[in-house]
Amino acid sequence: MKKAYIALVLALALVAGLSAQTINVLFWDDAYPRTLMERIPEFEKATGIKVNFEILQPPQVFTKTSVSVTKERTDYDLVCVDEGNIPLFASLMLPYDQWAPGKVFKKVDPNTVTPAMLDVAQWDGKLIGLPINGNLYVWMTRKDLVENPKYKADFKAQYGYELTVPQTFQQLLDTGSFFQKNGIVSGGFGPFNGGPAGVFGEAIFMYESYGTHFIEWQGGKPVLVVDKAKAIQGMDVYKKLMAISPKGAETMAHVERQAAFCADPKGVFSQFIWPAQIASYEDPDKSLVAGKILYSAPPAGPFGRYAVRGTWAVNIPTASKNRDAAAEFVYWWASKDIASWLVEKNTVPARTDALTDPKFAKSKPWLAAIAESMKYAAARPRFKEVAQVQDIVKKYWIMGITGQMPTDQATQKIIDETNDVLKKAGY
Amino acid sequence: MSSRKPDTDGVSVSLIKGKARHRAPFLFLLPALLVVFAVLIFPIVFSFFVSGFNWPLSEGAGTRKFVGLGNYLALSVDPEFWNSLKLQLGFIFIAIPIELLFGFAAALLLNREFFGARLVRSLLLLPVFFLPILSGMTWRFMLQPRYGPLNALLLKLGAPEITWLGRPVTAYAAIIVQDIWRMWPFMFMLLYAGLTSIPQELNEAAEIDGAGFWLKLRSITIPMLTPTIMTAVLLRIIDALRVFSEVYVMTEGGPGSSTTLFSLYTHRQAFGYQKVGMASAMAIFLLCISIAFALTLVRKNMSLDSLEEKAGGG
Repeated sequence: MKKAYIALVLALALVAGLSAQTINVLFWDDAYPRTLMERIPEFEKATGIKVNFEILQPPQVFTKTSVSVTKERTDYDLVCVDEGNIPLFASLMLPYDQWAPGKVFKKVDPNTVTPAMLDVAQWDGKLIGLPINGNLYVWMTRKDLVENPKYKADFKAQYGYELTVPQTFQQLLDTGSFFQKNGIVSGGFGPFNGGPAGVFGEAIFMYESYGTHFIEWQGGKPVLVVDKAKAIQGMDVYKKLMAISPKGAETMAHVERQAAFCADPKGVFSQFIWPAQIASYEDPDKSLVAGKILYSAPPAGPFGRYAVRGTWAVNIPTASKNRDAAAEFVYWWASKDIASWLVEKNTVPARTDALTDPKFAKSKPWLAAIAESMKYAAARPRFKEVAQVQDIVKKYWIMGITGQMPTDQATQKIIDETNDVLKKAGY
Repeated sequence: MSSRKPDTDGVSVSLIKGKARHRAPFLFLLPALLVVFAVLIFPIVFSFFVSGFNWPLSEGAGTRKFVGLGNYLALSVDPEFWNSLKLQLGFIFIAIPIELLFGFAAALLLNREFFGARLVRSLLLLPVFFLPILSGMTWRFMLQPRYGPLNALLLKLGAPEITWLGRPVTAYAAIIVQDIWRMWPFMFMLLYAGLTSIPQELNEAAEIDGAGFWLKLRSITIPMLTPTIMTAVLLRIIDALRVFSEVYVMTEGGPGSSTTLFSLYTHRQAFGYQKVGMASAMAIFLLCISIAFALTLVRKNMSLDSLEEKAGGG
């Protein structure tokens, strides 16, 4: 009798285990999805859907998605796609209007997504998935330095105007030089010279600020439209900023930038940040400057301000056999409740109502800066061959800004080799 | 009624038995041959097949299209391809001789017994057991300009800080130094094993004849050790042709393309540019280089004839 009872219990457990729906989710690795993970058990309890998640660095997310998602089969029911790669994967993903209504959580209205971010998941006139975070350039400046009365007086005496958060590149050069040359900081500016996508972002940031687009879609194809003179001007200014950057600026990626800004007793005066990383910069256990940072929109060039966007969208592969469960997970993730909680945890979702919630205005000073930056959001060019162009731009941009090649030659190389890639791709 | 089989049948039976006997070795070899085919031959053949296509990694990047030798032709006019090949060969021809020299010198020094000799020999091997990716990360942080110990030392000595990984020449030198640090004990390990197998009587006889250290080295040690040296060099060349992770984490191929070795460029073609056909063509090219190295080294230095000649000459 006892044996029969145990067998029955085991059989029931097996049936229950087999009948529970499971979805495989591929996340990119940063503070935002890692924070979300804390709440996933709640979703599983509410829906009975088990979530198997994998969290990888962005290049590995790209590779895994490339090999694991096809039209006929997929290893993942939900994948996160960086906005630059939407053109590549759009044909393999289920358009958002075909996502099923939620059973437990209400289908999210795309209009809840901040308008500057909604464009991220658009391709060929369709919404491919849902933008899930609010990542775009926000500027950070050391509050303790910029508000120091002595530095204010000295700066005014030297430059003839008030020391404030830099509003233009000229001010950034002046203030950064002032602090660096007086030995107050290790770097007046923190550049990004890491991976190709990030360096491409810096180049686009400078090109746009100095009045030129790089590539535009014209007649259904990407066309190189860069104005060489303006591009050189942008590169020249960045080269000047490199001169006031910390030692090792030539290879500074996110880890080095964070170390220079947060862990160096002298630190860096001013630099851009992806809001996804704010949590680390504001963590007193990891940062010497937690609570001492002023956030703003990026400084303006002669043609205005530009904030480069770097947002992720969540997408359901058409081949997924668990589309409804995957959609349910996104509805939960993008709900007001979870989005507000994510803001509380110093991360940045894409929902307007959570980002602009007055209850966070005082405790999360970066939210106002994000809202301001969103007015100037600029996307990096998107087309299937963008990885090749990013490599070209990275190579010659760094050679130009570090003085290994004159900036006009470096810009010409970028133009020639990008044209070559576009030509070979048949555009 | 039973009938005896005619003689002709007897001949057939013996023929069949003979054929079966001839087939038997092949049947015994078949499982091993199948495994070799599955894990060695098939991937090469498949890579060669893929190299004839425009084969995107993701279906979203386009459709597969046969291009014949198109990928090989495209590579032949790609300056990045030739640059990566040049860097890879430079890496091999700089790093491996230095590793060989260090390994040989250490093997000669430690080919004697003294207190703690075993411990010293074991400790020397430690870098070989480092995961390449950890070695790359460690060197990256050691060479970091502001926080790295190397620059701290330079500063203490009054020298200026150097952005080792930010300049093409120093970055290339850094990845080579990292490889030398990690892999010279491998050379030591093989050469030490080779040295211990040289009959002691030869050295003793030479000493009786009045031979000094250098003469013994030139006339006994090096000739006797040549097969071991060639094996070690060949293994290192094959390994160095595939070097990837340590360079990837140290420099990601930069600055510019100054450390984009052949393996990094192959990876970039496949996983960055989604061009699996192109990457396969590069892999086939790399295979040809490996075979060329192997044939040159094995044929010229490791044939039995040459060994006998050397032994006779010695």
